[in-house]
Amino acid sequence: MATKNVKNANYWQFDHKVKTIFEVKGVTILPSPQAWEKFNWTRKWFKKKPKEGYFIWIKKTVGFPLVTCITIASPKISQNLTNLLVLEKNIKAKANVLCNAAKSNLCSSHRAQGKLILKEGAFLEYNHFHKWGEKDFVEPNYEFTLEKDSKLIYNYQNLLPPKNLRLITTLHNKENSSAQVNFVINGLNSKAELRESIFLEGKNSQGILKLRLVGKKKSQIEAKSTIVAKGNQSRGHLDCRGLLVDKNSKISLIPELICQNKLAQITHEASIGKIAEEELNYLRMRGLSENEAIDLVVSGFLKS
Amino acid sequence: MKNILLKTEKLRVEGNGKEILKGVNLQIKRGEIQALLGPNASGKSTLAQVILGNPKYKIKKGKIIFQGKDITKFTSEKRVKLGIALTWQSPPVIKGVKLSQLLERISFKKDFQPEEGKKLLEREVNVDFSGGEKKISELLQILSLNPKLVIFDEIDSGLDIKKIERVAKIIKKEFLGKKIKIAALFITHSGDILKFFKPKTTNVMVRGKIICKGKDYKKVLRVIKKYGYEKCKKCQLLAV
Repeated sequence: MATKNVKNANYWQFDHKVKTIFEVKGVTILPSPQAWEKFNWTRKWFKKKPKEGYFIWIKKTVGFPLVTCITIASPKISQNLTNLLVLEKNIKAKANVLCNAAKSNLCSSHRAQGKLILKEGAFLEYNHFHKWGEKDFVEPNYEFTLEKDSKLIYNYQNLLPPKNLRLITTLHNKENSSAQVNFVINGLNSKAELRESIFLEGKNSQGILKLRLVGKKKSQIEAKSTIVAKGNQSRGHLDCRGLLVDKNSKISLIPELICQNKLAQITHEASIGKIAEEELNYLRMRGLSENEAIDLVVSGFLKS
Repeated sequence: MKNILLKTEKLRVEGNGKEILKGVNLQIKRGEIQALLGPNASGKSTLAQVILGNPKYKIKKGKIIFQGKDITKFTSEKRVKLGIALTWQSPPVIKGVKLSQLLERISFKKDFQPEEGKKLLEREVNVDFSGGEKKISELLQILSLNPKLVIFDEIDSGLDIKKIERVAKIIKKEFLGKKIKIAALFITHSGDILKFFKPKTTNVMVRGKIICKGKDYKKVLRVIKKYGYEKCKKCQLLAV
């Protein structure tokens, strides 16, 4: 992972404290409360004065990924972040974003309200990694606005989920903009509720949403994924797949397609299955134990 | 007895509640090459899967002995570690896992760098592999396991003669050309591959039983061609 060394992060928050801010040329990075004070225009996006979180304003294409890291290291911490990332016209950027708990038993909570604005012709690859403890509560709510001709690749990966995860993601796609959104969640004794919505508002706007969910160790996962097509010739596709590894887990997939324009086209595919016995037997006949074989099949599924 | 690598004793096996193997006796010595012929659904592949410990099949009676040890209740992975390997006739697809990743996970050899099939390494295991590519992939995997006995299940099926020659060449070079030769059991329906290996014993299985063991594979193939498997039992030339 690109966020291995948090000391090199452009923004690193530890519990409630900002540990590091490392600005690069053409990029303004500030704690959100300071951005509220310094830039009046941010109030349009923040709505009210934020308590904590980051503000990243990218005005120049940067040749390397920007890295942020939000860590919970103390027990019973309750983070309440408001993040804003603004990408100016025709700028390209990549961000690797890590939110994690330093230990597995902190019983903490992490709430994040994120707004990401891609201005006309901008391109953003946003890689969002979550690693939590077994007793944490996590509620990120991210909203992306894709202005004309902009492009987003959003990868969300959660291989160590919290006890409770409530993940809300909303995209507004304007004219000619396109988004590829990939969610990978490995449920381990966790309850996860996902709500993803892509609004294809502009002419020729496009959105693809891909979900790969694994239910392990009594996990309960529910994903409601919606694409709303409003713009002429807008196109969207949902690809939701679940893999149940143990009999005490449950995955619910609720794909929803709403078409409000007769020139738009939206499609979906959804499936939930279990690991085929044949695959496991095959891998065991290559010398892997049953658990090793399951892990390999699951890792392959999450990449597929 | 010390020379015997694998032995099955009166093996009776059920699958889906139906008896498939009805008392199979098979004995393979170290470094020996044998063949197992038989019509479709005679139980050849089931025997291979049972020797490797596929839990889908229930052993009702009999034993499997490997290197003098009763392995009838061993898990598949334990049998592999002892040195038994099987190339599958129709291997399953493992989505999202590259062949190179699989080899890295299973290989008993350090820094296993196969000479053959390099083009397959970065592809997902068996996803859109042609018939020939599947066979090469199977051989690479088995090669990484350092086996003492390999069961080649229909390694020649679905291949044209050139591809059979290529597969035979790889097997000869990698498995049989070394100082310590492995033992091999070729399961084949057509018998096409046997001319490259000249098995010492050719077993014929019909309806879950080995009904004939011949020393001359050519003769066995000739008789089967002439009379068909159904008449094997009546064959005066091969009766044992």
